[in-house]
Amino acid sequence: MFIDFFYSLKNAGIQVSPTSFLTLQKALNMGLINSLDEFYTSARAILVKSERYFDIYDQIFAHRFEGAELPEYQGFEIDDISRAMLDEWLKDPRTLAQALDMDEAELLQLTPDELIQYFKARLNDQKGRHYGGATWIGTDGSSPVGHSGDHPGAMRVGGVSRNQSAVKLALERRYKDYTRRGLLTQDMVGEALKRLRNMIPVGPEDRVDIDKTIYQTMKNCGEIEIVFSKSFKDRLKVILAIDNGGWSMDPYIPVVQTLFDYARDQFKDLKICYFHNTVYDVLWEDPARANKPIPVKHLAAFDPQTRLILVGDASMAPYELMAADGSIHVKERSGKPSIEQLKFLAQTFPHSVWLNPASSQMWDYTPTSTTIRRIFPMFELSLDGLEEAVRHLMAK
Amino acid sequence: MKNNISNKKFTGATRYVLDNELASIVNVSMALEMPLLLKGEPGTGKTMLAHSIAESLAMPLIVLNVKSSMKLVDALYQYDTLTRLNDSRFGDSHRDVSNMEDYIKMGKIGQSFTSKQRNVLLIDEIDKADTDFQDDMLDVLDQMEFDIIEIDKTMKAVHRPVIIITSNAKKDLSDPFLGRCNFHHIAFPDPKMMRKIIGVHFPDIDSNLMENVVTTFYRVRKIDGVEKKPATRELINWIRALKSDHDFKPKTLIKGDIPYLGVLFKKSQDYERAVEATSRGHVI
Repeated sequence: MFIDFFYSLKNAGIQVSPTSFLTLQKALNMGLINSLDEFYTSARAILVKSERYFDIYDQIFAHRFEGAELPEYQGFEIDDISRAMLDEWLKDPRTLAQALDMDEAELLQLTPDELIQYFKARLNDQKGRHYGGATWIGTDGSSPVGHSGDHPGAMRVGGVSRNQSAVKLALERRYKDYTRRGLLTQDMVGEALKRLRNMIPVGPEDRVDIDKTIYQTMKNCGEIEIVFSKSFKDRLKVILAIDNGGWSMDPYIPVVQTLFDYARDQFKDLKICYFHNTVYDVLWEDPARANKPIPVKHLAAFDPQTRLILVGDASMAPYELMAADGSIHVKERSGKPSIEQLKFLAQTFPHSVWLNPASSQMWDYTPTSTTIRRIFPMFELSLDGLEEAVRHLMAK
Repeated sequence: MKNNISNKKFTGATRYVLDNELASIVNVSMALEMPLLLKGEPGTGKTMLAHSIAESLAMPLIVLNVKSSMKLVDALYQYDTLTRLNDSRFGDSHRDVSNMEDYIKMGKIGQSFTSKQRNVLLIDEIDKADTDFQDDMLDVLDQMEFDIIEIDKTMKAVHRPVIIITSNAKKDLSDPFLGRCNFHHIAFPDPKMMRKIIGVHFPDIDSNLMENVVTTFYRVRKIDGVEKKPATRELINWIRALKSDHDFKPKTLIKGDIPYLGVLFKKSQDYERAVEATSRGHVI
C-alpha cells in the first residue's frame, strides 16, 4: 500500500528508508491508523525524521491524497536571478565574459534573451537537487512547522565553472547557512577527524585509578590506599573558517556540511567563522556575514596552539587576493591585501591547514590556489586529504 | 502485552495540554514499541510530555539526564570497585565479596530494564552526548538487553519501557539513530494553544488578564536579536508574578508598560534589549 506515496517522498529528497516504510505498514496492519488525519501524522512521525522536510512532506501528501498540484518554483526563480544578473552584467561585460568563459566581443553580439538562454543552459547542466520550498498551506489545518528556516533549496546553481571568478552581485544576495541545509551522511569525515584530539588531564582528581590503587594497596601490605587521578578531556581548540560565499563553492556544500556537522559534534572548543573567497579584515561569526564580525587582528590574542582550518576552493580573481582593496565587499578597506592577512594568520597559528573541496588536479589551473598553497599547506577535502591534514595539524 | 498496551491510551494529563496530532503519534509509537524522538525549541514541553505520559498511564517515570561527558555504560550499570575493595579489606558488610554481582549498581537504563513494572524512560537532551553514545544507546534500546561485562551476564528488559527521547539540537541526529525512532517536532504553541495551556495552570485566571498577557507575550517574543526567547515556562512564571502583585492592572500592558521583564528575559543582554524595545513605547 502507498508505494507510490513512498517513492514520491523519496524522489522529493526526503530520506525515507524501506525499514520505516515497513514500520508504517505494520502500524496500518495493527489497526492503529483509522483516518486520513491519523495517517498524516503517523506516516510523518514514522517516515520523516527531520522537521526540515515537514514542508515537503505536506506538499507531497496534499498532492497524493488531495490532488493538489505540486508547485513549480523553478522557472520563476531562475528567471528572477538571471535577470538580476543580466542587469548587472550589462554594466560590466568583461566580468561576465570571464565568468561565462566567452570572448568579450562574442558576448556583445548576443541579445539579452540569448544571454539568459545561454546562462540557463549552463545552469541546467549542473542543476542537482531542486526542491520547491516556499510555504505551503498544510492539510486539515495542521500547518507545517519549522519551515526549514530559509527556502530549503530555493535554487542551487551549480558552480559556474571550475576556475572562474565570482561575480559580485549574485554573491551579495545569497548565502548558505551550512548548519541548516543539506543532507548529513558520510561518516568518513568523522572517522578522519577523530584523530584530531589532544587529550590532557583536567579538573579535580576525582577518578579512581584502579591499577595504581591496587599497586599501592599491595605495597602497603593490604592496607587500602586509594589513588585518584584527573580525568582526561579533549582540550583542543579549533577555529574552522568556511568560505560560504559564491557559486564556486556551491557544488561542495554537502561535503562542507558534513565537515561542519561533525566538527560541531567533536570539538568542545570550536569557533566557526565564515569568509568569502579569502580573508580580509574580518571573519564573520554569522553565516550571512553581516552581523558579527571578528577582526582578524583580534585573533592574535588566541592561543597559538589553536588549530586553524580554512575551508575554501581558493579560487578567485587574482586581484581579490593581491590588491590592497581587493575585497568584493565595499566596506572592507583597511589597505591590507588579503594575502597579507593570510600570512598573518599562518604566522599566528603554526598549526593550520587549508582544505580545498576541489580536486587537487584542478589546483594548478587556478593561480590563486597556487599562491595560497605557498602560505597554507593545502589538502583536498576528501578522506585521504583529511587524514593528511589531520596528521599535519597534530604534528609537533 | 499487546492487550495491555491497547487498553492504555494516552489522552493527556492534568497539567499538560495535548494536541490530537501529538496524542496519536505517542499512541502509535507505544503500539509499535519504538522510541519517540521529540525535537523542538526549549519550552515547548518536550520533557513535560514524558512526565504526563507517565502520569496518565500510571507508570513510574525514569529520567536519564544526558551529560556531555557521559558514557553509555554509565547509563547502564556501574561496577563499584571501591566498595568491593573496601569490603574485602574489612569484611564487615552484608555483601558477599566473592559475589561480584553484589557490587553492580544499575544506571537509569538498567533500572528501567530491571524494573518489575512497565515504566516510561525519558532520555532527556540526547544531543548533549556525542554520536557514538547515541548510536550505541539505540542498539541497547533496540535489542532491549545489554551485557554486564564484569560478570558476563545479559540483562534483558522485563517489560519494554515506553521510551521518550528529547533533543534541542538544530542539527539532525545520525541516520541510524533516526531510523530507529519515530520523530515529532513540537512547534511553539500558537496563541490559541497558549491560552489553553495557561488555562490549565491558572484555572481561575481573569479573561482580561489572559488576553493582555498572551498578546504581550507574543509581542515581546518578536523583539529582535534576543538570544533566548521567553518560552512557556517563563510565561507561566511571569503570570504568577503578575498575579501576586496587587498593584498590577492588565491595562498597563496594553500601554507597553511591562513589569517583571526579568522573569521573561534571563540573559542580561536580552533583558537590556527588551527594556530598550519596550520603553520605546506602544510598538514593539
